[in-house]
Parts: sequence; structure tokens; C-alpha cells
Amino acid sequence: MSDEEHHFESKADAGASKTYPQQAGTIRKNGHIVIKGRPCKVVEVSTSKTGKHGHAKCHFVAIDIFNGKKLEDIVPSSHNCDVPHVNRTDYQLIDISEDGFVSLLTENGNTKDDLRLPTDDNLLTQIKDGFGEGKDLVVTVMTAMGEEQICALKDIGPK
Amino acid sequence: MAQEPTSSEQICGAAAWIIREGMKITAHSALCVFKRQPRGENEWFMNRPVSKTHGAAAWIIVELYNGQMQEHHLLQMLSGIIQWINPPDAVSTAIECGKSESEMLDGCRALLSIATITTPMMFDKLLKSLSPFGTLSLLSTLTCEVVKARVANTTEEETWSYVARDILLDTWTALLVPTVSGRNDALPPEGIHAAAIVFNMIVECELKAASASVFDDEDNSDYQASISAMDQRLSSYALIARAAIDVTVPLLTRLFSERLALLHQGRGTTNPTGTLEELYSLLLITGHVLADEGEGETPLIPEALQAHFVDIVEAEKHPVVVLSCSIIRFAEQSIDPEMRASIFSPRLMEAVIWFLARWSNTYLMPFESRRGNNCISGPDHESQHRSQLSRKALIGFCGEHNQGKLVLDIIVRISMTTLISYPGEKDLQALTCYQLLTVLVRRRNLCVHLVTLDSWRNLANAFANERSLFSLTAPHQRSLAETLARSAIGMGNTEAANQHVRDLVGHMTAYLVDISSKDDLTTVAQQPDAILSVSCLLERLRGAARASQPRTWKAIYEMGFSVMNPLLTLLEIYKHESAVVYLILKFVVNWVDGQISFLEAKDTAVVVNFCMRLLQLYSSHNIGKISLSLSSRLLNEAKTEKYKDLRALLQLLTNLCSKDLVDFSSDSCEAENTDIAQVIYLGLHIVMPLISVDLLKYPKLRHDYFALLSHMFEVYPEKVAQLNAEAFAHLLGTLDYGIHHQASWQVASKDMLHAAKIADTEVVNMCLRALNALASYHYKERGAGKEGLGSHAAGLKDLNGNLQEGVLSRFLKSLLQLLLFEDYSTELVSSAADALLPLILCEQGLYQAIFLNYCSELDKLI
Repeated sequence: MSDEEHHFESKADAGASKTYPQQAGTIRKNGHIVIKGRPCKVVEVSTSKTGKHGHAKCHFVAIDIFNGKKLEDIVPSSHNCDVPHVNRTDYQLIDISEDGFVSLLTENGNTKDDLRLPTDDNLLTQIKDGFGEGKDLVVTVMTAMGEEQICALKDIGPK
Repeated sequence: MAQEPTSSEQICGAAAWIIREGMKITAHSALCVFKRQPRGENEWFMNRPVSKTHGAAAWIIVELYNGQMQEHHLLQMLSGIIQWINPPDAVSTAIECGKSESEMLDGCRALLSIATITTPMMFDKLLKSLSPFGTLSLLSTLTCEVVKARVANTTEEETWSYVARDILLDTWTALLVPTVSGRNDALPPEGIHAAAIVFNMIVECELKAASASVFDDEDNSDYQASISAMDQRLSSYALIARAAIDVTVPLLTRLFSERLALLHQGRGTTNPTGTLEELYSLLLITGHVLADEGEGETPLIPEALQAHFVDIVEAEKHPVVVLSCSIIRFAEQSIDPEMRASIFSPRLMEAVIWFLARWSNTYLMPFESRRGNNCISGPDHESQHRSQLSRKALIGFCGEHNQGKLVLDIIVRISMTTLISYPGEKDLQALTCYQLLTVLVRRRNLCVHLVTLDSWRNLANAFANERSLFSLTAPHQRSLAETLARSAIGMGNTEAANQHVRDLVGHMTAYLVDISSKDDLTTVAQQPDAILSVSCLLERLRGAARASQPRTWKAIYEMGFSVMNPLLTLLEIYKHESAVVYLILKFVVNWVDGQISFLEAKDTAVVVNFCMRLLQLYSSHNIGKISLSLSSRLLNEAKTEKYKDLRALLQLLTNLCSKDLVDFSSDSCEAENTDIAQVIYLGLHIVMPLISVDLLKYPKLRHDYFALLSHMFEVYPEKVAQLNAEAFAHLLGTLDYGIHHQASWQVASKDMLHAAKIADTEVVNMCLRALNALASYHYKERGAGKEGLGSHAAGLKDLNGNLQEGVLSRFLKSLLQLLLFEDYSTELVSSAADALLPLILCEQGLYQAIFLNYCSELDKLI
């Protein structure tokens, strides 16, 4: 492969390529896909044909990575689907504000204060408890198609 | 007192009477009744208005069950059920008009029972005492009726004809399946004719069903399920066809060419779907007739095909050759784009590829010396000689020195077509990758020719240097990489073979080295196109790693070595992308597995060091990490991903273990050798915190973990002693868990529950063996005046100054608790006893104390 093949354009600007076209047949379980404009994680793929001697199509069952809803889509295997650009970044959790925002420390030393806490009770409890016990927490923030949310917690303090 | 009967007819008359009286038992059951009822205890007989003679007669059947008796008896049985199945057309019509099918089905079952204990000759002869035609003819006519009725049934339900067909096909199979020598398997001439008629009808009806099915709703069942579900039926068809090969092979050839002509005539005007489906059926049937599956072995050309056509000594005139060639020539047309578009639908192509895979495994460049030249002498010399020539013609027509290479080339080009010109057709491409191409590299003599073909070189080149094959789904790329790497065994020498592999994998390693050294990697890595490329390349590496062989291991070692650091970089970058992480881990597992036995000491140290860094890195990313999601489904998926990763890590440690067991390296210097045991324990120590009790509920993970643990304890008990207190406590804690824990199973069926419990027992067994090893080690060491498990066994003071009991006393109590008070399978008694003995020997005082305690408790109760 030539050098050009290795060169990926850095798409760091917000809103630049939020999705990428990819042949439906190459999307596997645990990959990502856009269905009805929502970024989703694929949990099931099955193939069938359009008529006995027709072409293959893929049936995707996927879960919206932000709101947890189940979505489905059927696409001819040779057609392109949109795959969302899902970015995951780690931040150290500095503070949780009264009005439901978190204060995060970025790699270059700045703070990021515009991320809301999840509204779900279960998730909220896990974060608040962890933070409340004075642990050193690192949160992973997942960003895709203009939305962002905390998707993982890690205790990095001494045991 | 019963009188002895005067003739055998009376004996059998008793049997026939039972059946004729219609006792609502099948003929087969009647036979069993006779076998079961001993003399004198036959109340049932005695109470019927039948003389006691018949009762005794029944007993005599059992006692005097010799050949002639058997024949008589079977004849009587047959005559008892004959009206239920004869004449077949009348019976079929009656059932269609509403009569119950139960008698007819019982009659079929009776035929099946008879067929299982008779030779074809015997079977056929039976009916001849009652009618002008033999039993095989009746079976043939009956089968034809049933098959016709089945096609006529347009409902979805399984009716009587479905059941009857299966029973009758089983009957044919019982008669025709080649048995161990000693039984005469030959058919009488009318039998051969009967088989030909049946096969003709079967194929006619299959074709009718095929063309009718195109109007069905979408084919929901996936391709693999449909062929394997049909496999038993198709195997029966093949046996029937091979019984009348003179007729059936030309029949298939004719039907095939008729359909081809239809297709060509109708091109562009008529809808070909019906004919395509007929061709699909024909290919499946022909594939089964011409070749066998040959599980794990290279299947021979079926004997029936070799032995007949004795007068045909020129290959191109041999009917099997004619049929094979016409199909291959047809398949070749798929390479032409226009033909492909109008005729070769994905489904038809699937049948073509399946056929080529099955056919090639038998006919393509077979080992010509397989059939030894039997020494022939005597008056049959001439005909036997012609027979030998005929066999040779068949075996050799696609041999290395004839058309073999040409056909190989055609097959490779057809394969390439399916991979490039059928975008998105995953099932088709799966067949090509997993079934067809793997056959081509299975044998060395094929590989030798493969690597000289331009078409194969084109495929390898497209794989290594072009983008076209990147659109295949990643697992197929893995398989392709493995196949291409495997073909290196066809190269002339080791250096050429290694170079072949290097040329193949060069692009993979170059890409990964390059991408991992990019400055802006963090930004670009999470873009979908980057993830796709990285995933494809990792899968390709995996495939190449799996093809490691003694000849090419060096090139594959270099491949892995060159990407060690890049992989660690990628593991860091992609720590949140579980799919990529898993691929990295699996690659390393596969690579180590193929390499470890060959590595010299220095390289072993390098590999081991790399693996430990990998484990450390993975652990640091994942320890204490909790996924958060609104979706319980996604949380479950995350858990499954963790579990799969851990299994991979345990596999890696297990593969490293094997270095101590299988070592092909030439080093003799012990001092440089890596202490594998130490490495494994370190690895376990790293991995352990990631394995929660919750995850240990996954049966496979449990099994892998305890298999490794018990292996380590059994082989390296001295290392256990050297572990620090924390690590030791942790490992032994899991051992205790493994012995006592009976998972609560939520499984779908009783069979699965049973399987789960067996798996559970196996795990406990392994833990008991580990315990045995540990305790035995300590006992023997102490006996020799040494430390053994040292402070672990003696007990130590913990941080608060309290004395923690030693591990052996703890386990003695724990094991006694299990054996006396808990539920366990009897399968465990032996290994539990083995473990108990050394524990008792080590802790005699404690053992006595425990039992004195039990006794005094019992005394209190009494």
C-alpha cells in the first residue's frame, strides 16, 4: 500500500465528519451504525436474501448508545451504511456541581464544565457515591454526532 | 403341560395370528413381545382363546432363532403387514381420501426393521414367496408413491408423506450402506432396476419441488442450515443412486444439460428463477452422489463409482468424468460478467462453490498410488485388468499429470470471482473461504501446483497490495490470510516458503508500524475508517499466525516481532474500543501458540516479556472500570466482552505454559532459559483482579481458569510456595470457590442443564486435583526435611497480630464439609479421596480433633 493509503485526515473540528460510509456487509456485531439518525451499537446481525435468487441483505439490531433504545434496520449488504464516529476520552473528575454538571480536568490542564450528569438514578448514584467517598475517579466521556455522555468510571486511587 | 408343536409353520402361525388379530402393536413390537415372554409365564397368551401350544410355540421361536427360522418368521411378518402397504397407489389414494395413515406407517417401519437385519438379496427374496415381484420392487414403488404424495402436498404441515419418506429412505440406507466385509451387499438385478426407478422419481420430485418453491415467501433459513438439514436425506439419495450407477449418472448429466439449455434459450426473455432453483437442487444431489464428506480424512472416490463402467477405459467417455466436466465447464462461465449477471445468482453460486469444494476434495489430484495394484491371476484376469484400467482412468483424469492443473486454475479463478464480484454476499464468500479454498491448501501436492499458477499469484497479490479484498468481512480476510500463508508448503524449499509468507504479510506489518508512529494518532484512531482498516489488518495477521508450520515459523515470528511495540501502542490508543482490543489479544494468542515451541531461549524471553507488558497494560486499563449505560443489553454486552478478553488472556498464559512441555529449540544452556512457571504465576497475578466472582460464572471462563490453575499447581507446586502471602491467599481463595461453588443455572433445556452440571463437576475435579498436588508436595517435602509450603501451611500472623490458620488445615475442614454435608456428584469421590489423603497426613492432629468432635456431637444426639 502506498503512503496515501495511510494518511487519514485529522477530523478534529467539531461537526466535520460525524459519520463514515461503510459497506453494510462489513459491519459486524459490536460495531457501530447510524439508524434513523441515531448512533447505535450493533448487537445482532443476520443475513437473508431478497427473494430466493436475489441479493443478500443485512438485518441489524442495534442499541442507541445514548438513550438505550433498540433500533432495527434492513440494508442490502452491498450498500453503504453510515457508521458514527464515536470518540471516547478520559477525564479526571474534579467536582460535581449542585445543578447537575460535572467539572472535568482535560489532558492539557483545562477544565471542561459543560457536561451534564446523567439523569438516570442508577447511573447518578454510581457516580455520586464514587465521588463522594473521595476516590480519585476517571470518567470516560463518549461523544458521537453532537451528543456526549459519561460511559465509564474508573477508580485510579490507591487501594 | 404344553405340547411341542409339530411343524415350524405352526410356530410362525402363532406370530402371524398375533399380528393379524390387529393387537394395535406394530409388527416390530410383536417381535419384541415374542422375545420377551418366557415359557410358562405367558398369562396374556394363556387367557386368549388360543391353545397353550401357541404359547410354547412363541418360546420355541426365541430358542430356535436360526437363519431359516428367521427367514420364515420375517416372511410371516411381511405377509401380516403387506395389505397395509400394497398396492402402494391404492394405499396412498385411500390415505389422501381420509383413511388413517397409521397402518401404512407401521408397515413402512416393519420394512425398515426387516432391512436392518437382512442383506439386500435376502430382503428381496422374502416377498417372492407371496408375489411375482421381490420386496425391493415393492419398496421402490412404495417410495415413489410417497415421494409423489409429498410433492403434491402444498401445505406447510408435515403430513404422513413426510414421515413415510424418511422411514423409507432409512430403509434404503439400511440396505445399501456399505458394511464391513463378510456380508454380501450385492443387489439382485431387479433390485438395481428398482433403485434406478426410485432415484429417477426422487430427482423428478425434487426438481418439481424446487421450481415450485420459488414462489415461497423469503427464504428465512440461512444457507448452512438448509444444506446440513438436508444432508441426511441427500446421503440416502446418493446411496440409492450409487446402487444403480449405470443409469443414474447419465440421468443426472442429461437433466443438467437440459436445464442449461433452458437457461441459455430463455436468457433475457423468461424469468430463470425456477430453473436456477432446479440447478441448485441438482448440484446438491450430484455433489452427494459423486463424492463423500470424508470428515477429517481425504475421501476416496466412492467404490461404486470406481467399480462400475468396467468397459470404459478412456477417461473422457467415463460417465462420472462427463458429468463432472459438464458441471465444471458450467461453473467456469461465472467468470464472464454477462453470464454472471443473467444466470449466476448468489444462491446458485453458493451451490456451485459447495459442489466444487466437495468434488475437489475427492477428485482433484488424488494420490494416485492409493489404490494398490492388486495382483491378479486366474481366468478373470482379462476383465479384472479392464476394471483396473477403468479405475485408473477415473482416478487419474484430474490428476497432476492430466487435467488437474487446468481444473485447479479454473477453481481458483471462480473463487476470486466470488470474492470480488459479489459484493456483500457473505454466505457465498464464507463458502469460498472456509470450504473451497481450505480444501485447495489441505494437501501438499495441491499446494505445489497452486503456487505456480498465475491465478493464485493474482489472488495473493490482490490480497497484499490492493484494496479490493478489504471489502470482505473481516473474518473472511482472516481465513484468506491463513489459506494464502498455508500454501507456502508448496514452495520448493524453506527459504522460498518463508519469503512467500513475508511477501504476504509485509503490507500488514508496514501499515501497523506506520500508523502507530503517527503523531496525531489519538485523533485519527477513533475515526471509523481507521478502526475498519486496523481491524482488517489485525484479522489478517491472526490468519497468518494460525498458518504457522515448521517450515514457515521463522517468517511468522519476524512478523509478530516487528509489530510488538506497535501493538502495545494500539492497545493503549484503542483501550475503549473493545472490538479492537479483542483482536489484538487474539492475535497474540494465536501467534504465541504457533511460535512458542520453536523459539530459542533468547527469543522466548522477548516473547514472554512482551506478553507480560501486554497483560500489564490491559489490566491497567480495565481494573476497577465500570461501564455505565442506560441499556441493560449494552451492559451485558460489555460484560461479555470482558469475559471474552479474559478467556483470551488465560489462553495466552496456557499457551506460554506449553513451552515447558513441547520445546523444539536447540538451546542446551539452561541458565538462559526463561522460568516459565514464574512467568505464568506473574501473569495470573496480573489477571486475577480482573476475574470477579460474577465472571467466574461463565462456564468456559471457569473451565479455562481452573484448568490453568490446576495445571500450575500440579506441575509447579514449588512455585506456589514462593508466592507472597497476598497472591497466595488470592489463588487459594479461588480454589476454595471452585470446589464449593455450584452455579445456579438458568438454561434453556434439560440437556443444557445436564451439560452444565457435567462441566461443573469437571471444574471441581480439577480443583481437587490441584489440592491433591499441593498437599502431596508439602507432605513429601516435609518428609525429606524441607520447607514445603512453609509459612503458608504453618499459618502466619496477620496485620492485627491474629494467627491465620494454615492453608492445609483450612482445606481439610473445607473438604470434609463438602464430603459430609454438601451435595456432590459421585464422579468426584475418587479425586476427593485422592485429595483428602495427603491433607489428613499433613494435618493429622486436626483430623483427629474434627472426628472426635463429630463423635461427641453424635453421642449427644443419641
